[in-house]
Amino acid sequence: MKKLDLRVKDYPELAISWETTLINKTGTWRTFYPKYLSKTPPCNYYCPANENIQKYIALSLKGEFEEAYLTILEKNPFPSITGRVCYHPCETGCNRGKFDESIAIHTIERFIGDYGLNFVEPKRRIEKLTNDKKVAIIGSGPSGLSCAYYLLSNGVKVTILEREEYPGGILFYGIPSYRLPKEIVKREVEKLIKRGAKFIFGKELGKDFSLDDLTKEYDAVFLAIGAQIEQELGVPNEEAKGVLMGLEFLKTINLKRKIKDFGKNVLVIGGGNTAIDCARTALRKGAKVKILYRRTKEEMPAVKEEVEEAIKEGIEIIFLTAPVRVIKDKKGKVKGLECVKMKLSEEVDETGRRKPIPIKDSNFVIKCDTIIKAIGERVDLNILPKEIISKRTILADEFGKTNIEKVFAGGDCVTGPKTVVEAIAYGRRAAAFILHYLKNYELPPKEIFNLVDYENLNTYYFEKQKRIEESKLPVNKRKRNFKEIIATLSDQDIKYEAGRCFSCGVCNKCDNCYVFCPDLAILKKNGEYEILYDYCKGCGVCAHECPRNVISMFFEEEK
Amino acid sequence: MKEGLIYGKKKVVTGNHAVSYGVLLSRAEVIAAYPITPQTQIVELLSEFCASGLLKAKFIKVESEHSAMAACVGAAAAGCRTFTATSAHGLALMHEMLHWAVGGRLPIVLANVNRAMGPGWSVWTDQNDSLSQRDVGFVQFYCESNQEVLDTTIQAFKIAETCLIPVMLVLDAFVLSHTSEPVDIPYQEDVDKFLPPYKPKYFLDINDPRAFGGLTSPDHYYEIRYKIEEAHRKALKVSEEVDNEFYQIFGRKYGLVESYQCEDAKLILVTSGTITGTARQVIDEERSKGKRVGLLKIRLFRPSPIPQIKEILTKAERVAVIDRNISFGHSGIFCQEIKSILYNEIRKPMIFGFVIGLGGRDVVPDDIREIIDFAYKADYPEEMVYFRGVRL
Amino acid sequence: MRWQFANYTQEYMNQGHLACPGCGGAYAMRLALKALGKNTIVVIPACCWSIIDGPFPLHCLKVPVYHTAFETAAVVASGIRAALDIKGKTDIEVLAFAGDGGTLDIGIQALSAACERNDKIIYACYDNEAYMNTGIQRSSATPYGAWTTTTPRENFKKERKKNISEIIAAHRIPYVATASIGFPDDLIVKFKKAKEAKGTAFIHIFAPCPTGWRMAPELMITISQLAVDCKVFPLYEVFDGVKYVINYQPKNIPVKEYLKLQGRFSHLTEKEIEIIQREVDFNWEILTKKAKG
Repeated sequence: MKKLDLRVKDYPELAISWETTLINKTGTWRTFYPKYLSKTPPCNYYCPANENIQKYIALSLKGEFEEAYLTILEKNPFPSITGRVCYHPCETGCNRGKFDESIAIHTIERFIGDYGLNFVEPKRRIEKLTNDKKVAIIGSGPSGLSCAYYLLSNGVKVTILEREEYPGGILFYGIPSYRLPKEIVKREVEKLIKRGAKFIFGKELGKDFSLDDLTKEYDAVFLAIGAQIEQELGVPNEEAKGVLMGLEFLKTINLKRKIKDFGKNVLVIGGGNTAIDCARTALRKGAKVKILYRRTKEEMPAVKEEVEEAIKEGIEIIFLTAPVRVIKDKKGKVKGLECVKMKLSEEVDETGRRKPIPIKDSNFVIKCDTIIKAIGERVDLNILPKEIISKRTILADEFGKTNIEKVFAGGDCVTGPKTVVEAIAYGRRAAAFILHYLKNYELPPKEIFNLVDYENLNTYYFEKQKRIEESKLPVNKRKRNFKEIIATLSDQDIKYEAGRCFSCGVCNKCDNCYVFCPDLAILKKNGEYEILYDYCKGCGVCAHECPRNVISMFFEEEK
Repeated sequence: MKEGLIYGKKKVVTGNHAVSYGVLLSRAEVIAAYPITPQTQIVELLSEFCASGLLKAKFIKVESEHSAMAACVGAAAAGCRTFTATSAHGLALMHEMLHWAVGGRLPIVLANVNRAMGPGWSVWTDQNDSLSQRDVGFVQFYCESNQEVLDTTIQAFKIAETCLIPVMLVLDAFVLSHTSEPVDIPYQEDVDKFLPPYKPKYFLDINDPRAFGGLTSPDHYYEIRYKIEEAHRKALKVSEEVDNEFYQIFGRKYGLVESYQCEDAKLILVTSGTITGTARQVIDEERSKGKRVGLLKIRLFRPSPIPQIKEILTKAERVAVIDRNISFGHSGIFCQEIKSILYNEIRKPMIFGFVIGLGGRDVVPDDIREIIDFAYKADYPEEMVYFRGVRL
Repeated sequence: MRWQFANYTQEYMNQGHLACPGCGGAYAMRLALKALGKNTIVVIPACCWSIIDGPFPLHCLKVPVYHTAFETAAVVASGIRAALDIKGKTDIEVLAFAGDGGTLDIGIQALSAACERNDKIIYACYDNEAYMNTGIQRSSATPYGAWTTTTPRENFKKERKKNISEIIAAHRIPYVATASIGFPDDLIVKFKKAKEAKGTAFIHIFAPCPTGWRMAPELMITISQLAVDCKVFPLYEVFDGVKYVINYQPKNIPVKEYLKLQGRFSHLTEKEIEIIQREVDFNWEILTKKAKG
């Protein structure tokens, strides 16, 4: 209280108040102050395409599926594809996984993708932007298609040169239809055609045209040739009849052609998605199938659900076993594979996994009449100029820039065999850079990540809820057909699952901060929260009770 | 009890019931009291008045005197005319809340039956209980007769509500409280004319929400306290005005002090309470014997009627103050008051202080006579206090 | 909207009050007044709220407040009630808002009398388990094991917490309830029920004190939820002193989780924590038996 000029006559007869505490600005008390600071949920963080997953899930919860679809399209043009084949690191990182079960983001993306194809794309007005630039894209796999989409959306004229007769790359030729129906691939590609993409099929780089040809004709060239050369086993008799290459095998099946030398007793070697795809495809072709993998189940790079389904379908996986020698009969046909048992050493290889080493004298033979090799792929570097290649891949930065002017590259041909979503992400980054290069468009700003861990959440306000279950064809209905196994769920199911999302790091107006403030320093006006810094004492209750770590406390600097 | 039976009539009532009638006529709204001998009849009769509907008041049956005063504080703060009564240990227990009533500027009326403090237990009359509360800030009236008790009760509400200070009226245990005297019960309409309904200046109002009695720092407390002193000084004038107004309507007045045969007195006795009645009789007798003695009855003890006391006592040569109380280690309290009032006067009498009648020991005319003889003749008051009637 | 609380958009407290950061008692008042509304007169005896409302001439609440002596909350409320009733203002609620000292110790006499008279007041005790306003001295509401300035660590409080809800329930008043600020909707509902009670209503509120409990202020709500989930402070109602209703099934978290967040319990050994756990379990058993019938 300041020195007062109040005299006896100025006072009331007794000690009765005449002022409210509003003149007492208790904000001066605090050492820390709260601030609403949106942070990065792990789903957004771990998604290789950095989709704003939290946002489209929040939109799905409200039933705004079109908005959700457009949100995904900002980072990934093909949610119907990734919603089917992605290995969903978002779900692995999902904080809800540590509470009860992670959100079925994959399932939601699939729904939104299909919703987009069915309801949004047909009525979507495509702005006919055009500018004078034209870009050639070599390869119509996920990376090429993604790059094309983003260039087309900004009016660039795009020509895609594909050496096969159908577009899609691994999406069409590699992934089997029970996982990714051809119809879906077709409809996704249609998005590009609607936007004016030109396709040239049957023309191959190095055979029908060279890189120089393209750089002369186009303003920029994007290499998206993927990694298609399959690794050899490096064992004797590998050339025997009945020893097939995995991708080659899948391509034949996907083109509905007959496979040479395909028997009834198939052994697939490898642990990645290609191996699983080969195994399950072989099963559907009537064979009895086994998989051979040199490490354990935990180390298999294939998507976990795929491995589980393979086992459910009756495929036996033999772990910690490696091939030694193909055994062929007098006609030169495969009749078995000599294997050796492996154990995991303490040494770790470049993938961070323990190196398997053979156990001495543990050799044995597995009888089989077909062996499918699916142990990895590499990039065909022979068709590329020396300046832009390294020992194994094309040299390019994260935006696809290479050492050759006008030439860009992305996807598996730069990273080595990786996943569809990473290829899509690369295509988009390259498109952004190409637009910057050609038209001086601003590069997208570097995203700053402020990751929300499970420990940062206040899970008191959440109740355990069962995760939605995917609708799957029962195993007995899958025999001998390539019908899609997983069906898209209903919008009620999607809304339910979206309701389970914690919305880590992003405010969803749960009101906790407003409800719990003992100093009434958080007001709610027109649905927005306002912190009254004049009165906030910095107790931190709001930050602590925010279930999703949106409010952060900062130290008051000495003023 | 039908109206016609009590109002406007002369009734033989005890002192306690005189209080009850006073409260009934004053239309108190909330009464909270805890029984203690010798006050019980006050609240018993009031209970009956409330139960029969004669008095439209809420009677809160509290569990202690501290709570009784607290309940009155609450009710008065909410804007009601409130009343309580107690005695001795009850008053002592109320002490904290007496402060609250004063500081809260609540016009509560309290009737205290003067009773001695224990241990050992005593129910008989003694002034130490009310005088122990001298400094809390209550206005204090000491009554001599049952009529005065009834009239003072009514006046008390008016003084309290005008000045916003609580008022304590004091009557002697048994000598007044349980002794019947003929008393004029005024007409209700006359009392209504004299004492309109209580219109509080400050009260708990949901349409004007304020905090009463919050933490008051040294920057404010002093001024607010000073206002209580101002109110006491106002009460001095208001008490007189009220007394005159009462006289206009009811034909009775008492004054703040009463001077009896003091005009040419050499010795003036100063008394309070029922000893005054005994003293009057002795004064008359001594006068007839030729002694120039007079009597000053102190009716209003707080605020001190300083001008009146000075005016009357400075004319005498000697003053004998009779206290039915003792402040241990010093002297009788009325005596201290008189001495401090007269100390700075140029002409001041010799002041003898006498303590008598503690614990209800009877004070008879001979005791007064002896005091008069002593004080009339003695050269000088050598003692601070002279104890009379104790078997030394 | 998840919280029913958000439906009560009107606030009856101003900002700028003097409570410590993270004060459970301040928050409890915010909730109570949301339930009771404008037609309320609050009686505050000596306790933290004597200060929180603001020094003269300031006033935090948007309803009238009568500050009174320590032991008189219940009876001053009764006095105000009598005055309002005689004036016909029976729609104005009288709320006595006292701390644990003014309720369980010095104020228990007046409270018991008000309950016996069944005066229509709401008595809310915000319990921070010690005489906090005078500097963290122990009260009869201080739980076993707690440090306070008058029960230092070498001689921590060995007596159990006085069960005021049971004592008041024994008066057979129409409504007795326990509430925790960690459950704001529940607390608001209980005050609304208290308002409807045909007589005295008593609500015992768990109101943490970061200052006195040696606890981080941001844990104000979490600790109030933990206390209930660890069964230290169960949420229940007693109707007419005989009908017990448990309002919330606790998550049965071990009491250790509750104790470890507070510095006032940091000196406890495993054995002493076990004693607390056993007592908590035992009390819960008694309560569930009462609730069954």
